[in-house]
Formats: sequence, structure tokens, C-alpha cells
Amino acid sequence: MKKKLLSGNEAIVEGALTAGLEFFSSYPITPASEIMQGIVKKQVELKNLKFIQGEDEIASINMCIGASLAGAKAMTATSSPGFSLKQESIGVSFKFGAPLVVVDCQRVGPSTGMPTLGSQSDILQAKHGSHGDYINIVFYPNSVEECYKYTIESMNAAEDSLSPIILLTDGIISHMYETVDLEKIKYSIKKRKLKPLGEGKRHFTGLTSEDGIPKTKDSTVYRKWYEKRKKEILDVSKKYNFYEYIENKKSNTLLIAYGISSRVILSLKENYSIFRPIRLFPIIEELREIAKKYSKIIVIEMNDGQYKNELEAFLKRDIKLITQLGGKISLKEIESELSKIC
Amino acid sequence: MSFQRFVRKEMLPLGWCLGCGLHTLFYSTCEVLDKLNKTNTVVVSGIGCTGRGAAYFNLDSVHGIHGRAIPLAVGIKKVNPKLNVMVFSGDGDLLGIGGNHLIHAARRSDNITVICNNNEVFAMTGGQLSPTTRIGGITITTPKGNIVQPINTQGILLSNKKYFYARTSPVFKEHLKKCLKEALEYKGFSFVEVISPCIINYARKMGKNVADVFKEIKKTYKICEENRALKDNEIGIVKND
Repeated sequence: MKKKLLSGNEAIVEGALTAGLEFFSSYPITPASEIMQGIVKKQVELKNLKFIQGEDEIASINMCIGASLAGAKAMTATSSPGFSLKQESIGVSFKFGAPLVVVDCQRVGPSTGMPTLGSQSDILQAKHGSHGDYINIVFYPNSVEECYKYTIESMNAAEDSLSPIILLTDGIISHMYETVDLEKIKYSIKKRKLKPLGEGKRHFTGLTSEDGIPKTKDSTVYRKWYEKRKKEILDVSKKYNFYEYIENKKSNTLLIAYGISSRVILSLKENYSIFRPIRLFPIIEELREIAKKYSKIIVIEMNDGQYKNELEAFLKRDIKLITQLGGKISLKEIESELSKIC
Repeated sequence: MSFQRFVRKEMLPLGWCLGCGLHTLFYSTCEVLDKLNKTNTVVVSGIGCTGRGAAYFNLDSVHGIHGRAIPLAVGIKKVNPKLNVMVFSGDGDLLGIGGNHLIHAARRSDNITVICNNNEVFAMTGGQLSPTTRIGGITITTPKGNIVQPINTQGILLSNKKYFYARTSPVFKEHLKKCLKEALEYKGFSFVEVISPCIINYARKMGKNVADVFKEIKKTYKICEENRALKDNEIGIVKND
């Protein structure tokens, strides 16, 4: 047993390296910069770890896509405004089938907002911030230990699905220090299956194409491509079915929270059942059955109902919402809101 | 061996307009790749007429989003320095939306070659003003003539201590091949600007036919053999190791 004191961002670095990270590019932004700084520190001992500080957010994700196609396991990290800038490139990464992990340490927006305060307001852009038809696998850990574990899982899921994986944290989880024993965490590592550039005569293009030949006016090709790609991602996502369900038999109310909000409300398990998705998207299928047991469902999140609305559409029923906006989250406030609803 | 080994046969006939300088640029690039035996080349492009070129090479190629060919290429080169990484894209893509990447890749002297076909407009979208449109240039978005001075591409490159900048044109085919060859052999960031005005969405609006366009280039440009900053009416190679 070897215990370490690590922050969420530092654990993400450890997780990425355990999973075989070979290329990292990023652009400075609060509260994500420690990930880049952590990578640079590790370069001293890891000669094969390549790093470029990009000239901007878009450059850094495109460098990662190039690196990924060239054969390296690649990751970029940013925070909310930077995540918006990366969206178009997330789409092309999906289109190319280039495995990639994009970490988004969420902060309060819109715009520059409250840079040093944590938030959960990128849920929808994590699900579908780029244009066109695509689906994303999105993970959201809630502790330092989980930052390590789910960075590994994100890197694995990227290789499995040949797609960009979104790993969400928030300013609080990213900067929170906890004592962790990384050695006790079990994992397996997925190998590369995409042949690196230089070994074939393939054409990776953002255009709708068939076998590398652009087919930009053929709807049948598009539909066939998307159907296949969607199925691939959904099939892979089933292997990463991560959630936590704390059942309280006395309660007819189910609280749903994720990331930092799930940490804050943990003590409410004495009176309520709690469901915590770790894979936010695609939404955990088991939730359909679990939800049936409860007359009331309440989502607690640090945004104005982004996940709540997704769950309402998913479960086809009304869901109550407790918001914690502007970077502040307080159990007392949540309890007081709960007493008004229940 | 022949330059044809670098042409992706399934893509013939190439999608560019008949008479466009891109045909000469593409086949000249294939000839130079053949002469240098650069079979380890990866072509990266962005969006636009020239961007379509990546698909025409019988090599591994990446056709990315608008303006981001350079960072894609930089990422590829970093991971596998043995690859010859070549960007093949247009002026709107590289100097407009992707301008920031050009500034920084040139500053870092990333070891890639950028071939920029400068057709002086956004051609594929119908001929709008681009950063390279000359003063007086009539485009869809400057119907009374452009009044803003075009971007100084040479200036961007030469503002660094180490640089390779070539200006050439398909009209001067041997010179074009010389520039491409030297650029591909250069260790560091090399940039070839290929003057080749769009014959459909630019020349036509200017009241010129294809022959006029190319005759004008032949008349305007003189080959500079010296290694010094090029004047506006000169083509040549300027470099500093």
C-alpha cells in the first residue's frame, strides 16, 4: 500500500500515464492548467511522452488528433471556454475515428464568467457541442481516486470506440486534494487498433465518404455511415456502464447527482435514495428500472437543469430540479430546497 | 519510377476546374516527391479547392477542418519525426482562418512543409474577398474593388530568425518544382506560396480569361536568384538557417 496526497488534476495525469498516454497538447486555462504542468513534470522521467503547448485551444486539440492518427495515445485538457473552442474538432475526431480524450474542468460561464469557481454547466456541450450527427461517451468522476480510475477508462473507451471521449470534472474536483492509494485500483489497458499514418494509403476526411472517396451528395452513404458509427459507440458504451446507486428502502424519492454535487449530497442517503451516473452519456439504461420505484425524482446540479431536462426526455416523466448556480454549492441550501419539494 | 505512383487513380479526373493552376501544382508536387523518393509522406490539408488535394495523393492523407491543417501536421510530425509531413492547402485556409497556426509554426520552426496555393479569393464558396486579394480586386464581397491591402505572407515568415519562404507560380513550372524541392529538403518550417489566381470566381469577375491571367503573371513576375526579401513583382526563395 502506497498512499499519496493528490489533487484531481494530478490524478488525471497519473491515470493518463498509466493508460499509456504518449502525446499531450493543451493551452493554459484555469482550472485545468495543472494537468498540463503535471505532464511536463513527468516528461523528465518519461522520454516517450511528447508534449506541445499549443498556440491556442483549437491548435492543441488538432495537434492531438494528428498525434492520434500518427499512432500515439493522445489527450488534451481544458476548461469551459476552451471546451467550446474545441467543439468543431471533437466532431472531426469522431468523423476520422481518431481515439482521443478531452478533459473539461468546468468553471462558471458564460464567457469568462467566474474562472476560479467550479461549475457543472457544460453537460449539454459535453453531450453534443459539435454540429452534425454524432454521439459522445461522457464520464464524470467525483473524487481524486475516481479521477485516476476514469481517466484510464476514458483512454480505454477512446481506443475501443475510435472516438473522442469527454472526461468532465469541475473546478472543485480538479483542485481538491485527497489521500489515495492508486495501487489498489484495478484496471486493464486497451491497446491501439488504429494503424498509424505512414503505413497505408488511407484518406481521413471530414467529408462524408466511402472507403476514403468523398461522397458528399449521397444521403444513403451518410445514413449507412452514421448508423454503423452510432451502433459502434453504443456497443462500446455498454462495456463502460459506470454508476452508483444507493438504495434507501424508506424513501420514495430518488436524488440524482453527479460529480461534485453527488459528493456534497452524500450524507442525504440517510433519508433518500441516490443515483449517481459516472457515465453521463449515453444515459445509463438501468436508470429506467430504478426510476420506476420512486414517486419523486430530484436532480441536483450546478447548472440550470441541463441534465434534468435530458433525464425528463429519457424517462418521459416530470423531474424536480435543485440548482446551485454561480460556483457555490451548499448542503444547507440543498436541504432547504428539498424540504420545500418533499 | 514515375510521378504517377503519387497520384490516387480512383480520384481521376481531379475535381478542379479545367485550366486551374492547381493541376500543375499537384502534378509538379508529385514529380518532386517522385524525384526525392518521398514515399514516407503524409499530406495534410484544410478546407477549400486546394484542401481537396490531399485526397488526390496516393499517400496517407488527412483532410481536416477549416484552417487547422498546420496543427494536425505538427501533431503528426511530433509523434513520428521520420514521416515527411506536407501541408497542401489554400490562402483562405492557411492565412485567414488558420493564420494563427502559421505564425506559431513558423516561430517554432516546426519541421514541416507548407504548400499554399494562393488563388486570391475564397474560390470554393463562390469568390469572396480573401486575405490575399489585391487592392482593386473585384470579388462578390468587394464589388467595387478591394481597398484593403493584402496580407504580407513573406513578412510573417521573415519576421523569424530561421525561415524558408518561396514565392512561385504554376506559370513558371521549372521554378515551381525547384521551390517545392528545396522546401521539401529544408530542415525546419518551409512555406511555398504559389500564385495561381482562381480562373472562374476571380478572373471572370475581373473581366479576364484564363490566358489573360497566366500571361499577366508571366509579364509581372521576375525570378529573383538572390537570397533576399522578394519585391512584390518577384518570385524566388528566401531562407535563413
